Amino acid sequence: MIENAPGNGVIIKTRDLRKDYVMGAEVVHALAGVDLNILRNEYVAIMGPSGSGKSTLMNMIGCLDSPSGGEYVLNGQPVQDLDDDALARIRNREIGFVFQTFNLLPRATALHNVELPLVYAGIASKERQKKAEHALEVVQLADRMDHKPNELSGGQRQRVAIARALVNSPSIILADEPTGNLDSSTSEEIMDVFDRLHGEGQTIIMVTHEFDIAARAQRVITLVDGKVEARMVPQFAPGAGKPTFGGVSKAPVEPAGGTGEAADGGIRAHGLR
Amino acid sequence: MRFWEGIRLALKQLRVQKLKSFFSLLGVIIGITFLMAVVTIVEGMNSYVRDDFAGSFFGVNTFTVVRRQRVTTGRVDEVERRRTRRNPELRMHDVEVVRAAVPSARNFAYSASSGGEASRGQHSLRNTRIVGGSPEYESVQGWTLSDGRGLTQVDERQALAVAVIGQQVAERLFPTTSPIDKRIRVRGHRFRVVGVLEKQGGLTGNFRDAAVLIPFSTFQRTVAQRRQEVDLITVKMNAAEEMDPAMSEVEGALRADRRLRPSQPNNFWLETSNDLLSAWQQINRILMMALPALVGISLVVGGIVIMNIMLLSVTDRTREIGLRKSLGARRGDIMFQFLTEASTLSVAGAAVGIGAGLGLAALVDQLTPLPAAVSVTGLVTSLVLGLGVGITSGLYPAHRAAKLDPIEALRFE
Repeated sequence: MIENAPGNGVIIKTRDLRKDYVMGAEVVHALAGVDLNILRNEYVAIMGPSGSGKSTLMNMIGCLDSPSGGEYVLNGQPVQDLDDDALARIRNREIGFVFQTFNLLPRATALHNVELPLVYAGIASKERQKKAEHALEVVQLADRMDHKPNELSGGQRQRVAIARALVNSPSIILADEPTGNLDSSTSEEIMDVFDRLHGEGQTIIMVTHEFDIAARAQRVITLVDGKVEARMVPQFAPGAGKPTFGGVSKAPVEPAGGTGEAADGGIRAHGLR
Repeated sequence: MRFWEGIRLALKQLRVQKLKSFFSLLGVIIGITFLMAVVTIVEGMNSYVRDDFAGSFFGVNTFTVVRRQRVTTGRVDEVERRRTRRNPELRMHDVEVVRAAVPSARNFAYSASSGGEASRGQHSLRNTRIVGGSPEYESVQGWTLSDGRGLTQVDERQALAVAVIGQQVAERLFPTTSPIDKRIRVRGHRFRVVGVLEKQGGLTGNFRDAAVLIPFSTFQRTVAQRRQEVDLITVKMNAAEEMDPAMSEVEGALRADRRLRPSQPNNFWLETSNDLLSAWQQINRILMMALPALVGISLVVGGIVIMNIMLLSVTDRTREIGLRKSLGARRGDIMFQFLTEASTLSVAGAAVGIGAGLGLAALVDQLTPLPAAVSVTGLVTSLVLGLGVGITSGLYPAHRAAKLDPIEALRFE
């Protein structure tokens, strides 16, 4: 059992997290025991080849799915055994999703799109509008509030989506290939938004297959065959030394449970404190 | 708020796809239209029958002796029908028998009638009711005059060619001038108009407003058919309590006069407004029995169509559902959203149906003598049915939407 007291700076903790899919007679281990520690205000990228289980891991972290085994503590709360509705509540309060395809409601204005999580949080209309306006200000779209998605550029749409992710003050922002549908200069613009949010204290977890996107993170977690691959050497960033690798960060609470130097040694280039 | 949002969303969809929505909701619209039209007309008939039917058609505390039953309800025995066809025609002799039987009658009249054309120059009205009435006929019927005078004993005794005409006749034959003292032609015979009846309108107005009333004796000499003598003997009593005794007096007197043995049935018929009332009640009952079946079928069909639209809508919006779930919508939230949408659609259909039904009833009210009255029960029933159909047909699609897996839904193309 892992302790789940909040306040020790750990926002996500998983132990031996497993997900099995039965496909015919075969059992596929999409996640084969993942141990993760992610700290408050950490900026983590999750990478891995397709089929490595990175989508499954994202779904687990995002509380969109329940694990087959293991434990997952999000912001001090064990969530592995919660039912659908309880998970919906957790998603609403703790997680801000940013999708590759933006997933905005096409017929609703930017403001209304941003308000959506607050609707499900049961917040009154006036308060909702105030918060949504503020979130749009944060992503510098206050002047586009009444525009519908088809009146916005791709980058603007993604900024609306980020505002939507922020609006309910979640514990983590979970972004799935947030620049996958954007050209490189717009990607740059969106990544700058993430950088700024991180600078303001936001915890960000980003799933990506692009190395230069992952390079913005403080730490890269690489999944291979449903497990965290700790020893992979970052060939794409020679000498930069910015991202580090390993599933378990060297958090103060965690006695080095890693298996070797790489896991221990390559923890953080940028200190968190 | 989510409630209003659901309604807003559904209404928006209606606005954007007017024609498609109309066809989708056709079942509900037809069902409710039908319900409203029938209920409105039945309600109109009810209040009409209750309030002034008996009085205007038959007169209050009035009964009528006729050769055979005029208003029949339901199926009449064929044997009975054949038997009453052999009933003897009423004669002036019968009039005297009835008059002698009820000396306490307040009013007493006899009449014969026929249909035919009335004309003046190039103006004509084809379907008038030519009535030969005894001098008291107008007062027994409760008819009043708007102009001129009524028929008198002198007219009757001298069999004068004078006529009192209904409003419709007056308007058609005399569109610009006063009809008093003008000549008209009825079935080839010439009459001088001496009076005009007050307009009645409504269902029974057909009879009064298209009437050409002439003295009974004149009728016998002019338009009466062969063997036709008296069609109706009408007796008006002073009070309702006098009706039953008076009717049995008349029945006894006629039976005695016709020498009927106790085993023989009456070969005449005594008619009161109750006959028509019970006939109406029977029609009413049949309508009210057929109505639920007809409305039910339309609503079931309408409900199935709505269910299909909603299923389509759930498929179309799978990603939206996935998104809403990922943002924290619970099963109940999604369920509620789609139920609200289905109900709004259906209630909108019901509202259109209510409007169309009321319009149809108003049209019937205008174009036919059938009256119409708005029934609150009908309105409430329609709305409740609309809501019920919406919720029922939305249940399965909403359930499907609610139990969608958010991951699958988000990935849906």
